[in-house]
Amino acid sequence: MTKIISLLVLQVLFCFTFFPLSYSSNSLVETTCKQTPFFDLCVSTLESDPQSSTAAVSGLALIAAKSVNAKASATLYQISTLLGSATDPNLKKALSGCVDSYNTIIKTDIPVAVEAIEKNNPKFAVGSATDAGNEAQRCEDGFGGKSPNSPISDSNKMVHDLSVILQSIASLLL
Amino acid sequence: MADTRPFLPVSSSDGSIPSEPLANRRKPMKVQLSIFFGLLTVGLLAALLTSNNGSDFVTDNEHGPLVSSTTATTKPETLQAVSRGPAAGVSEKSNRLFADENTVAFPWNNSMLSWQRTAFHFQPERNWMNDPNGPLFYKGWYHFFYQYNPHAPVWGDIVWGHAVSKDLIHWLHLPLAMVADHTYDKSGVWTGSATFLPDGKIVMLYTGSNADAVQVQNLAYPADHSDPLLINWVKYSGNPVLVPPPGILSKDFRDPTTAWLTSEGKWRFSIGSKINKTGVALVYDTKDFINYEKLDGLLRAVDGTGMWECVDFFPVSKTEENGLDTSVNNPDVKHVMKVSLDDDRHDYYAVGTYNEKNVTFIPDDPEIDVGIGLRYDYGVYYAAKTFYDQNKNRRVLWGWIGESDSEAADLQKGWASVQSIPRTVLLDKKTGTHLLQWPVEEIDSLRLNSYEFNQVTIQAGSVVPLEVGPATQLDIMAEFEIDKEALEKATGSNVTFSCSSSGGAIERGALGPFGLLVLADDSLSERTPVYFYIAKGSDGNLKTFFCNDQSRSSVAPDVKKQIYGSMVPVLKGENLSLRVLVDHSIIESFAQGGRTVITSRTYPTKAIYGAAKLFLFNNATEAGVSASLKIWQMNSAFIRPYPNLDNKSQ
Repeated sequence: MTKIISLLVLQVLFCFTFFPLSYSSNSLVETTCKQTPFFDLCVSTLESDPQSSTAAVSGLALIAAKSVNAKASATLYQISTLLGSATDPNLKKALSGCVDSYNTIIKTDIPVAVEAIEKNNPKFAVGSATDAGNEAQRCEDGFGGKSPNSPISDSNKMVHDLSVILQSIASLLL
Repeated sequence: MADTRPFLPVSSSDGSIPSEPLANRRKPMKVQLSIFFGLLTVGLLAALLTSNNGSDFVTDNEHGPLVSSTTATTKPETLQAVSRGPAAGVSEKSNRLFADENTVAFPWNNSMLSWQRTAFHFQPERNWMNDPNGPLFYKGWYHFFYQYNPHAPVWGDIVWGHAVSKDLIHWLHLPLAMVADHTYDKSGVWTGSATFLPDGKIVMLYTGSNADAVQVQNLAYPADHSDPLLINWVKYSGNPVLVPPPGILSKDFRDPTTAWLTSEGKWRFSIGSKINKTGVALVYDTKDFINYEKLDGLLRAVDGTGMWECVDFFPVSKTEENGLDTSVNNPDVKHVMKVSLDDDRHDYYAVGTYNEKNVTFIPDDPEIDVGIGLRYDYGVYYAAKTFYDQNKNRRVLWGWIGESDSEAADLQKGWASVQSIPRTVLLDKKTGTHLLQWPVEEIDSLRLNSYEFNQVTIQAGSVVPLEVGPATQLDIMAEFEIDKEALEKATGSNVTFSCSSSGGAIERGALGPFGLLVLADDSLSERTPVYFYIAKGSDGNLKTFFCNDQSRSSVAPDVKKQIYGSMVPVLKGENLSLRVLVDHSIIESFAQGGRTVITSRTYPTKAIYGAAKLFLFNNATEAGVSASLKIWQMNSAFIRPYPNLDNKSQ
């Protein structure tokens, strides 16, 4: 019994020691992420980059852009692999469309967004982030709800949501 | 299990992505059955209500009522203007991604894409363009400079493009005027304006985004004032001449205006900025464009409007029908202040009084102050800039018209953006509150054969085809008269109408909508209505709205589908009048002589080339309408590179 109580006390002490610390650090990340519709994803994404603890909002926007790029690149690899082994013509058609969408995101949308943020003309970053999210949606919709279903829904949703986060943060720079 | 539903925007109250599925519980049989039947009912209803595309309008003057298609269940929300408060904007912003673009990418082919290029609007041969810069008239040529990306059809690597014309319509491309070749504009040669000195020389003040992305102002001037083409430009060796002042962030200091002379003989100009969320116009005086004095006052400031880009400030005559030099100031003029709002990508203006001594601009009506009132254009139109054309004694307005399609399509077609046809700007003497914009008269030189239609009757709920031959390059002048009896008999209501929140041209009212169907195919599966809608208040007063409905402009899902427009003042005794310039993927529409203007970009997939047609329509329930029109086929302006430029001495 006493063991349990002392464990509990330790637990409580632990929480009270570390909880306020984590609560008070990175408040710019939290204030910024509150202005996006995906708070948890935003916080975890930004905080995964150590630079986020000292970055200004424009720095956070760049981290967000990098995260879209990273996830999009991984998804493009996923798509290419699936395309290589696909035999169903509907699936192949949808996956090819996704290749186009993701190429647009990686080669155009993200570079434009990064340049716009770095050069302090954020409205073009907002526009490109919107476009990136739309491309992820387009890729997903290319599977049209018909059989076979989209094998990359999770990835598409992630890229979409990260694009929304980027768009929201870039809007704060206007 | 993967969530296969479309990515619905998450509401602001739920900031997290869906996590674990609900715990499985065995539900009682009753509940399961009722859920099943409920879904069945919903499914049946949905099947009944879903419209068959295309047959919303009755064709060929049949008198039946129009079948209005109910909104399909996946109709996207109309895009609202971005709210000014960040907290309130969160769910809007998540909606914005899919508010007006959805589903599969359209398989654009080269035929559809190449059709989109305009025949008589200014655009470079390829790649990206945005803001108009430093327009002027000099030694027999109109000059136009513009923000340009020489490398791609998207924004980036911005430099100054250049073109010349004798008549503001037939343009010839020249080499780039300025590139990003100094530390003070390394990150971008951004927007600027020209000022004429008393000796006729030109100075250009422009914003450079410097190597550290700080916004600074730089001075440039023609290398050779005897070259009428002004091909080469020199940047002042002492640049930058202005850096962000204390209290202004280095990223909020851009787009200097043309300067005007004060009564003390100094040059005065403005630069837009913001302080927190208040948009402001900073003011500077200079004698030599090298040394500057920042004045203490702000020309104008308006809370909640955000960053003011591309400020423009100029006088308009209260009595004459000509333009005024930017320096004119006397009791017979009013002043106009115009800003481009970064927050919502729209251009706003206000008419008011300039006090030189106090350095203030006071709008005539603070309810429609700068940034919260009237817009130059209720469609796609931004970064506009005027210049005084001393050649023809008029003030001429340029505006950037961006694309409304996807970046992927822009990449495929290799270009993005056009400029509006230059417009003259005058104070509307009849209302005193609005400006009148009108395409410059030189555009009439493009008119070829014409078609006249006199007093065509369009019964309530009908469509009338207009035989005008090809319908992708047109100049349409139209007047509409609505049945007077119907106007009087219609019951008024308190319901407020707005173009953007309405159901578009298929939403029938007693006294509207009626107007034109532009870029429509025979079956009307694609069409862009440009129309009037008269709303009667419960007090019996009539309010006229002027709208442009993109919602069915194309079957392609990856283009914007908004409904643009605004109330347009119609004075007693005035007929409803309309001018529409159709030029492939751009439509410019002017109501009541240019009192309210809407520009839109349209990307049909079927209503292109010979399949594009023009119709009159009247979707009102109670009123007949008669229309008289004169319609011209429009020639191309053959915009191309200046010939034999290498032979010219530089």
